[in-house]
Amino acid sequence: MHSSTSSSDRVGEVPDRYARQTAADRPGVAQPVPLRPVPVQPWGRILIGAVLLSALLVAGWEEYWRAYGVRPSIANTYGLWAIQRRRIDAGEGDATVLLGASRLYFDIQLPVWERLDGRRPIQLSFEGTSPLTPLQDLADDPKFTGRVLIGVSPDVFFTGFKYRAGAVGYARKESPSQRIGQWLSMHLIEPYFAFDDSDYALQTVLARQAWPARPGQRSRMRVRKLAETEADRNTHLWDKVDTDPEYRALARRIWLNHFEPYDDDPPPEEALKTEKEQIDLNVKVVAKLRARGVKVLFVRLPSSGAYLEFEKRYFPRVRTWDALLTASGAPGIHFEDYPELQGYNLPEWSHVAHNQADRLTAALYGIIQRDFWGPKAAD
Amino acid sequence: MVFNSLTFVVFFACVLALHSLPLPWTAKKINLLIASYLFYAAWNPPFVILLWVSTVVDWYAAQGLVKAQRAATRHAWMLLSVIANLGLLGYFKYGQFVLDNFTSLMSAVGIAYHPAHYDIVLPVGISFYTFATMSYTLDVYLRRAAPAQNLLDYALFVTFFPHLVAGPIMRPTELVPQFAQPRRASGQQLRFGLALMTLGLFNKVVLADSFLASAAERVYDSDKIPGALDAWAATLAFSGQIFCDFAGYSTTAIGAALCLGFAMPDNFRFPYAAVGFTDFWRRWHITLSSWLRDYLYIPLGGNRHGARRTYAALMMTMLLGGLWHGANWTFVAWGGLHGVYLAAERALRARFANYRPGPVAFVALGLLTYMLVNVTWVFFRAKTFSKAWIVLRGMFGQNAAAKPILATFSLISVAAIVGGIVLTHWLMRARTLESVVARAPAVALCMIWALMAFAIVIAQGAGNAFIYFQF
Repeated sequence: MHSSTSSSDRVGEVPDRYARQTAADRPGVAQPVPLRPVPVQPWGRILIGAVLLSALLVAGWEEYWRAYGVRPSIANTYGLWAIQRRRIDAGEGDATVLLGASRLYFDIQLPVWERLDGRRPIQLSFEGTSPLTPLQDLADDPKFTGRVLIGVSPDVFFTGFKYRAGAVGYARKESPSQRIGQWLSMHLIEPYFAFDDSDYALQTVLARQAWPARPGQRSRMRVRKLAETEADRNTHLWDKVDTDPEYRALARRIWLNHFEPYDDDPPPEEALKTEKEQIDLNVKVVAKLRARGVKVLFVRLPSSGAYLEFEKRYFPRVRTWDALLTASGAPGIHFEDYPELQGYNLPEWSHVAHNQADRLTAALYGIIQRDFWGPKAAD
Repeated sequence: MVFNSLTFVVFFACVLALHSLPLPWTAKKINLLIASYLFYAAWNPPFVILLWVSTVVDWYAAQGLVKAQRAATRHAWMLLSVIANLGLLGYFKYGQFVLDNFTSLMSAVGIAYHPAHYDIVLPVGISFYTFATMSYTLDVYLRRAAPAQNLLDYALFVTFFPHLVAGPIMRPTELVPQFAQPRRASGQQLRFGLALMTLGLFNKVVLADSFLASAAERVYDSDKIPGALDAWAATLAFSGQIFCDFAGYSTTAIGAALCLGFAMPDNFRFPYAAVGFTDFWRRWHITLSSWLRDYLYIPLGGNRHGARRTYAALMMTMLLGGLWHGANWTFVAWGGLHGVYLAAERALRARFANYRPGPVAFVALGLLTYMLVNVTWVFFRAKTFSKAWIVLRGMFGQNAAAKPILATFSLISVAAIVGGIVLTHWLMRARTLESVVARAPAVALCMIWALMAFAIVIAQGAGNAFIYFQF
């Protein structure tokens, strides 16, 4: 707070033709209409030059990422998720909802499901995110009376990890401006620009360069782009992960990096406690859903290689999957129990290749209809 | 809607197009008024009612002030305006805070009080437009200004979208006269306005959101204990972030208004080159500091009633100024620290009235000012006092067992950007942006403009709200 009799050096004393006083120079009086001089410059030519040059730079940036193999796809934002969530409020409360982490998100192809089932399911999964919060949201919503397929990726599901934690809150509080912005972006920007992907944002690109490591500091590598998404959140593994050996190796290296122990990992006893808590929380929510007739089915989609070894070591089936099914009383499909769900190409050990996702979806749908939700199945 | 959103781009293009149509001036003002309500309703439509309440109350209060014959009646109209505006602000912004403190107080004296949860959403920008409308009635009450000639001009003053939600906090005498005559931006104003908007958005989207915010978050929003390097890097990052965020908003707002042919006041004058805290507050959030000076510090007595009263007015002003920023005692502490700095500076100036620093001492005092400002930012950024103490202990090397938090890239980008900001402020401290732009080669301006626009596009900002919206 400046005193009205301050004697400090005055900005208003600047000897240039654009100098002007501010309210700081005029204590206790009505402030006049401000001065807003325009510097003398050929602004018309400057603007045209700036527009052309920036367009050229953007075109070059776009071309660079297209040459890398990136194609335009829809950004997997909370706004996009909210559009799908609203389908339940808009008359599709009896729909099938897919709710898991990246495996259910990337591996299940909505057009195949729709072709077999007659109805397109609602994809509400988020990569690296436990389904618990959106599941609670569905359980609290009386409009939802359909079926829910809950994806169980052990390292996410049993730790309660939430990489994208804010979707439900966002959907509840989404402002009109955000809704319009989502519509504009997914219709005017995202379908046309490959670089419009968080993996290629300026800061992200710079941050992943080979900066010297800070002594004493270790941090997990950031997961790179793995998937391509469409407007209704139908998503598949990016072909580059499968076809580019270097990129595939990078994706695997990142998982291996994540499997290493870190200082901020919880101690084993705390991890076990969290695991039990997550099972209990899911059991309660599933009970609430089933009490009002919602059909719930857990599904453990395939993983392989070092990823599967990691999961077996830290989240053994008996202690996690089997305990979950026993406690909840809900049915489940584990890929190890079904030959139809085995033998797929999982380029980075965690998600099925794009060209095999249709087959996996059809196989899973067949099992579900045969053993769980079909007319001849006894749930 | 926020300036850094596609929604705003489309909205602003429509407003510019409408404003350039050959319509009567009154029709153009009605268009601007409707656009401004839409701009505000895009967050939460029902809160437009608050704008109307604030507008109508102050319009009638000012009318009553003019017609009143007796001093007591004038006083009553002024109080009506102040109570209505502060009542709105108090209910929406400080209700939960008061309730929490009352509950804590009851608990301290052994009474278990469990009030119902105060589930109120804070209307965006309420602190800004309540101050703007209050300045209208207060200026009329203090006979500094005549009331607006018509309700349309006054409503547009309150609602005009460039300044509505985060300032600059405008006075009626600055804006209402601009509505009296038809205004349309010249080609030069339009183009320079667009350049200012690009500069403002570059500050916000690229510098604040993309490069500085994460360094501050990783230290202030985590439970890790920072060492000296991380604590300083995070705090310096926040100093850069809040400047780029808020000055970026002001610059964008000034540019948007200029594109429509209106002038808005400066809100920042290179504050990180301030020498002393009086100087800092002449450069930082100028429209708020001058508002507090004119409507709080001076009415509290200012420097007219002796040293003790002056210091008391100063402290009271800064404490309330801190509380204005947020319903948390950490903001009060931030304001209090600035009050203490200002009081200490005042005492030192009185004690060493003849001291004139040489060039080295001048720069050293400037850097000392910046360092001490950074200490205050700790309380502004930390959500709790315990977090603030942890960061402060780190800054002063007291967290011995701390492990590194920020990666090398974060440290380098914070050093480069914040160093660049401070250096720029020193180079510009006695200049205006316009004077530097006027002397620059046109080719350089063209390239800088293009690079800023390119950086905004490839930074892919997520439409994060400006920090000051929450205030």
